[in-house]
This record gives sequence, structure tokens and C-alpha cells, in this order.
Amino acid sequence: MSAFEEFDQERRAIDTLLEQGYQVIRIAEDLDGARVTFTHGGPGQSPVELLLLTADARKHVTTVVFAGRKPAAPIETVI
Amino acid sequence: MADLSIDLAGIKSPNPFWLASAPPTNTGYQVQRAFEAGWGGAVWKTLGEPVINTSSRFAAVHFNGQRVAGFNNIELITDRPLEVNLKEIYETKKRFPNHAIIASLMVEPKQEKWHEIVKRVEAVGVDGLELNFGCPHGMAERGMGAASGQQPDLVQAQTTWVKEVATTPVIVKLTPNITDITVVARHAVKGGADAISLINTINSLAGVDIHSWNTIPNVGGQGAHGGYCGPAVKPIALSMVAECARDRGVGVPISGIGGISTWQDVVEFMLMGSTGIQVCTAVMHHGFRIVEEMIDGLNNYLDDKGLASVTELIGKSVPKYSNWGDLDLNYKVVARINEDNCINCNKCHIACEDASHQCIDMLTNSDGKAILQVREEDCVGCNLCSIVCPADGAIDMVALDSGVAPMTWNQRNQVISGLNGSYSEAEVV
Ligand SMILES: Cc1cc2nc3c(=O)[nH]c(=O)nc-3n(C[C@H](O)[C@H](O)[C@H](O)COP(=O)(O)O)c2cc1C
Ligand code: SF4
Ligand code: SF4
Repeated sequence: MSAFEEFDQERRAIDTLLEQGYQVIRIAEDLDGARVTFTHGGPGQSPVELLLLTADARKHVTTVVFAGRKPAAPIETVI
Repeated sequence: MADLSIDLAGIKSPNPFWLASAPPTNTGYQVQRAFEAGWGGAVWKTLGEPVINTSSRFAAVHFNGQRVAGFNNIELITDRPLEVNLKEIYETKKRFPNHAIIASLMVEPKQEKWHEIVKRVEAVGVDGLELNFGCPHGMAERGMGAASGQQPDLVQAQTTWVKEVATTPVIVKLTPNITDITVVARHAVKGGADAISLINTINSLAGVDIHSWNTIPNVGGQGAHGGYCGPAVKPIALSMVAECARDRGVGVPISGIGGISTWQDVVEFMLMGSTGIQVCTAVMHHGFRIVEEMIDGLNNYLDDKGLASVTELIGKSVPKYSNWGDLDLNYKVVARINEDNCINCNKCHIACEDASHQCIDMLTNSDGKAILQVREEDCVGCNLCSIVCPADGAIDMVALDSGVAPMTWNQRNQVISGLNGSYSEAEVV
């Protein structure tokens, strides 16, 4: 898998959760990557954790939180 | 034609080009010829108690056909008596009243020694003083030069002693042989320095002769460490100038030195905060007349930029030099290969394959021609391929507009610590 595909898989996982209404509540970084915890306000929904390995996905998730919003469109890296 | 004159902490000069304290400023004969050639100022070869130099002093590093990419010396300060130098300084100043003559000084770190030499050189009409706390060899073993320049408190004390009696501006010349040059720069300012100059030479050994096993240079088979300068040191000097220029605790004019050989180098040093510059190696390599091209080049550049005075360049790039932690992580460049200019040498492919991210593919186009193409989505924008490419215009590094808001490492850490309710990592500066 190319580096981009690895990132793209992780980005999709993040964006899917965000589109479902999940929010990032915690990011714990260690030697193995970033463990990102998402929660959903809805009843009966338990937190979800993603382990992000790629640098670009770790950047993406913090950019989303930093911008205070879900991205309007996926990050366009190819033109 | 733009105004090239500068005023460095009160030292006026018809242009920013000064000769650094070194062999080209050893005598009145040389400095006067340099002024005739167009140099605006000269920092006299360091005065102090005259030394005896060794024979076999210089060596150079030639790289791939470029002679003197770096220059190495084990020369010390002047070997002529003070009175002889003072007489020649007086005569030179009389002949060239509008040119800047700065006396470089180095004595033992004792108050009375500094007082004595300052009074004697100022009496002959120098425009300023430069305290040589930088010489890395010979003098350092006697507690002078870099030995005192590496001790911030000693720099401050000696600068204070000089300022107690000096009536002309005092420039403190810094050694690069230290972890953080701004510490010493700040202490020089605390001692009252009106300006700083940097860099002096970097500790070096030019080489070892693999046949005789002698050092290069050697004095009858024995070598000692020397000082490195010339084009190879320019990036080191420029970063040290930039660090001092952006440090609020420094805040005095800078005379930039280190590897300067063209007018473009001069522009870079001025943009990074130098009020003027000094040159040694390039003059030792090519002679005084290189200044003609420097003056022409700088004049044309200023005219092209529509600038009326060279002083308008000073420090313009300093705000663009910040900390790694403040760089935008979302900025993205990628390599793009221009088939029209590519000569198919494959160097970019090898570089990316062996030393970067394996994203330059060797393909065949519809005409059956071998082409190279970057998979832009995998390109991290390291620039390596464009650095190794021998063909002009064959690789462009192109900035992509990702539409994503800028975010720095420090902002990212604030986001994470804000989320987690505690700081996760230290700020990066
Ligand atoms: C042979 C030689 C002798 C030098 N002597 C002195 C000196 O007496 N005093 C001093 O402050 N710097 C001395 N320097 C250092 C230069 O003034 C200058 O700081 C250094 O060479 C960097 O500039 P460059 O890259 O243009 O050569 C000397 C340098 C060389 C090469
Ligand atoms: S910029 Fe770096 S990663 Fe991109 S193609 Fe060139 S060498 Fe490869
Ligand atoms: S290094 Fe430059 S010239 Fe050589 S193949 Fe790559 S793009 Fe073409």
C-alpha cells in the first residue's frame, strides 16, 4: 500500500466518524502513534478509539479540531 | 543609482563592503589599495602584543573542481609592532578620510591592557574598534581570542573595560565556536557594545595527507587546529547572524562576516539583519578588485528593486525567520517534472528511491519515450530530487492549495493539551 493509501484509509475512518456526529475528545500520542477517542452525544453510544499511524492522519485529526469544524471537503492532495 | 552608504553604530562608510581583519588588512599599503579599488572600510589586522607566526599557515578545501570552497588558517594576530601599524593607520586615514578604518584589538583580559591599547589606537584617528574575541587558535591558548569569547562574563567584562575609555563605537567580534552565539552577543551588549560582528573562523583541521599521514597544513610534520572560513561557512554564519538579529536582547547593529564572495551574498546578509558586511577569504582568493563587481551588482539590484538606499535591505527577512514550532504543518509542496527540460539522467528517481519516499516512477509515455513522473499524493515535498537534478527547469517544487487552514506544531500541541486537559508536549522553538 502506498503512503497515501495508508493515510487515506485512516482519514476516511476519521471523517466517517465525524460525519456520524462523533467528536474528538482526547488524543494520546505515544511511540505507537496517536490514540484518538471519539464520543457521540446520542443515547447508548459508547466512545470509539482509533489508533492513527500515519503522520498525515495525525495532522488531519488535529487540524479538524483546530479548525473547530468538520472539513467541508476532503483534503485535496492531488491536483 | 542607489545610495550605498551605511552608518554602522555611528561608523560611516561609503558602502557596506569592508575588509575583515585578516592578511588583506595587514599594512597601510594594502588597505590604501583596497580603498582605491572601491572597498568602503577595513578592519585592520588584529593589533596586540606582536606575535611570531609559523611558516606554512594556510590550507584550503577544494571541492569537485571548485578551488577554495573552504579556507583554513593557523595564522595569529599581527606580527608587526603596534607603533608601525598606528603610523600606517594614521597615514591611511589621512588619505581616505571618508572611508571607515576600524582597529581590531586583542590583549590579555586585564583592564589596564585594554585601556592602554584603546587609548593608543584612538589617538591616531580610527573610526571604531573591533574587539577580537574570536580567534580560535594560538591566541586562545594564551587566554585571548576565542578562549575569552567563549566565556560570556569575560566578554561582558572586557567590553565594559573598553567602553570605560573608548570614544569611538565598539564592535565586539564573536566566535562561532560556541553552542549558542546569542548568549555571548547579549553579554557583549550588556558590557556596552555598540555593535557586534560575526563570525570569526570555525575550529577546523583542513585534512590529513593520506600518503605522508601529516596534517594539512603542517609545520615540519606537526599540525594544530585552525580556523575555517570561506564559502563553505556561509550558511553557518548566516544562521548565526539571523539568530542575533531576531534576538531582542541583542538589538545592536550587526556587521556580517563569513563566506561572503558575491553581491548576492551581501544582499542575503543584509536582509538577515546585517548593517554592513566584511570579507576575507574571497579577497585572499581573487584580490581586492572583486569589489568592483560587488558594487555594480548591488547597485543594479537596488535599482531593479526600486530602492533608493542599501539600508532599506537591512533586516527585511528577519521576521520571516522563526521557530520550527511556528511553521505551518498544513503547507504542502510537491515535485513536478517538466519533460521538456528533463534529460532523463534518472538522478531524481535514484534520490527519491534510495533516500526519500519512493514516489518518482519511471514510465513510458504514449510515444514510447521514457519519462519520469512524481506520484504527487506520496510526495512529501522534501526537495531532494530538485536539489540533485542537473537540468535547469526540469523539476519545479509546486505549492498546493489544500484549502486547509494553517496549523503549526505549537498550535497542534495546544489543541491536544486543550482536549486532554493537560500539556502533552513541550513547545518547540
Ligand atoms: C589567514 C586569516 C587570518 C585571520 N586573521 C584574523 C585576525 O587577525 N583577526 C580577526 O578578527 N579575524 C581574523 N581572521 C578571520 C576573518 O576576519 C573572518 O572573520 C573569517 O575569515 C570569516 O570571513 P571569510 O569567510 O570572508 O573569510 C582571519 C582569517 C584568515 C583566513
Ligand atoms: S520532493 Fe522528495 S518525496 Fe517528493 S518526489 Fe522529490 S525526492 Fe521524492
Ligand atoms: S534529475 Fe532532472 S534531468 Fe534527471 S531525470 Fe530527474 S528530472 Fe530529469
